[in-house]
Amino acid sequence: MKRTTYGFLLAGTATVFASGAAHAQTAAQNTTAGTTVSNTASVTYSVNGTTQTTNSTTASFVVDRKVNFTVIRDQTGATQVNLSQTGAYTSFKVTNTTNGTQDFLLNAYQTGIIGGLLTGTDDFDLTNLKIYVDSNRNGTYDPGVDTATFIDELAPDGSIEVFIVGDIPATATINQADVALQVIAAGGGATGTQGTALVPTDLNLGNADNSVDVVFADGDSDGLGVDIVRNGQGWAYASYAIGTRNVALTVNKTALILSDGVNAANPKALPGAVVQYCMLANNATLTASANGVTITDPIPVNTTYVPGSLAIGLPGGTCTLLPTITAPFSGSYDTPSNAIIANIGTVIGGGTVAVSFRVTIN
Amino acid sequence: MYLRSTAFWVMTGLLAAPAGAAGPLQVTAKVLTEQKTRAADGSVRVALVPARRVVPGDRVVFVLGYRNTGSQPIGNIVLDNPVPAAIAYRGPSQSSAAPDVSVDGKTYGPLATLRVRLADGATRAAAPDDVTSVRWRLANTVPAGAQGQLSFQAVLK
Repeated sequence: MKRTTYGFLLAGTATVFASGAAHAQTAAQNTTAGTTVSNTASVTYSVNGTTQTTNSTTASFVVDRKVNFTVIRDQTGATQVNLSQTGAYTSFKVTNTTNGTQDFLLNAYQTGIIGGLLTGTDDFDLTNLKIYVDSNRNGTYDPGVDTATFIDELAPDGSIEVFIVGDIPATATINQADVALQVIAAGGGATGTQGTALVPTDLNLGNADNSVDVVFADGDSDGLGVDIVRNGQGWAYASYAIGTRNVALTVNKTALILSDGVNAANPKALPGAVVQYCMLANNATLTASANGVTITDPIPVNTTYVPGSLAIGLPGGTCTLLPTITAPFSGSYDTPSNAIIANIGTVIGGGTVAVSFRVTIN
Repeated sequence: MYLRSTAFWVMTGLLAAPAGAAGPLQVTAKVLTEQKTRAADGSVRVALVPARRVVPGDRVVFVLGYRNTGSQPIGNIVLDNPVPAAIAYRGPSQSSAAPDVSVDGKTYGPLATLRVRLADGATRAAAPDDVTSVRWRLANTVPAGAQGQLSFQAVLK
């Protein structure tokens, strides 16, 4: 039986088809993986003047998972650290551009980082290296709060910070440490449970129809580095640099005659006069604290320490804001050496601690 | 003429249209997707294959195949195909007649003639993304035993 095939070639009505590529949209606007798209046409026709209706068969397919995400270093330059610093961190940002919610597995490495990805030369490793997710989403690492070690259930278009955290050795000669973050796409679906790494579906396997296939669409995140396109992984790199080896700690000492027993308005340095000495310990290095600061000051000859007059604390008034030794500072008058000893401890970057005591002129 | 129709009727009876099919016009829907394969010389071949692996951004082709399994010519055929929700209409396929399209399910026509009403009451020219339904109205009668194919191109959102 010969059948006629109808081709509807209507001249002039064919629209030029040139769009599609310009269809930019975000992952959240993408159809979610697992959605079934079904198509059915309804048809009316007439046979011998009798109108009838029918439906076409239904054609459907399941939208597959287009795994894509980005990993970037989310900080400018290297993290400036000090020798022996603990909890030093570098920041990264992971953005899920998959058409579905996913987990991401995280690994940190200090070796195998190809030269040229970062400026400078790596010459030490951090100890106690860990990876934490910015669970409270405030953009900074909070010890004890940001404790998750994998990214859980990141929605399409969702971003989250990841921190590589470690301790800096005390070795005096070290300069720079490089770290690498590896991010691996993993299956989501269970909150609080770490998914397993996704594997792209082999279409030759049976039952690939009407199931959610995994298609890797991620790019090469590092060019020179180990990442390749469509491997379900992303890499980013960052450095720690020893920025400060010393701090600019200065102590400025001044004397003020409080009273001479004669002239109340304008006291002179007469025998019997009370003199207040004031020392301001200032750390002019904003980026680093000075630790273990102790000030020892001998009582000048021909003067006598006024018992109980030692005050340590925030600067203010004529020297210290309060006339006492305020926590966390401690200090005392040492009788054998005839000196005051002020245990200041830490002076933070840009901070000043005041120490004052009084003497009488013999 | 009468004899010929009868002969057709007998033959179609033997071929047996699918069970449960009500009328003489059988319409089959298919979804195809573009599969690109790179040949050894570097050229890329695009083949249309059944939509097994489709991810957002992929081109898909919706095909309606129709066949007159009856003995009488069929006229006034109208195929109305609502565009599925996750699909953005792009245009007719090269081999297919251009359908009339609609952005509201009521007014059909060439895309260039349609306008979309905005929230503030103004209107703008309709774009392919606005199409919610496509419709083919076959001008010609389809004789007994004849078949044809209509299709449109789209993108998975």
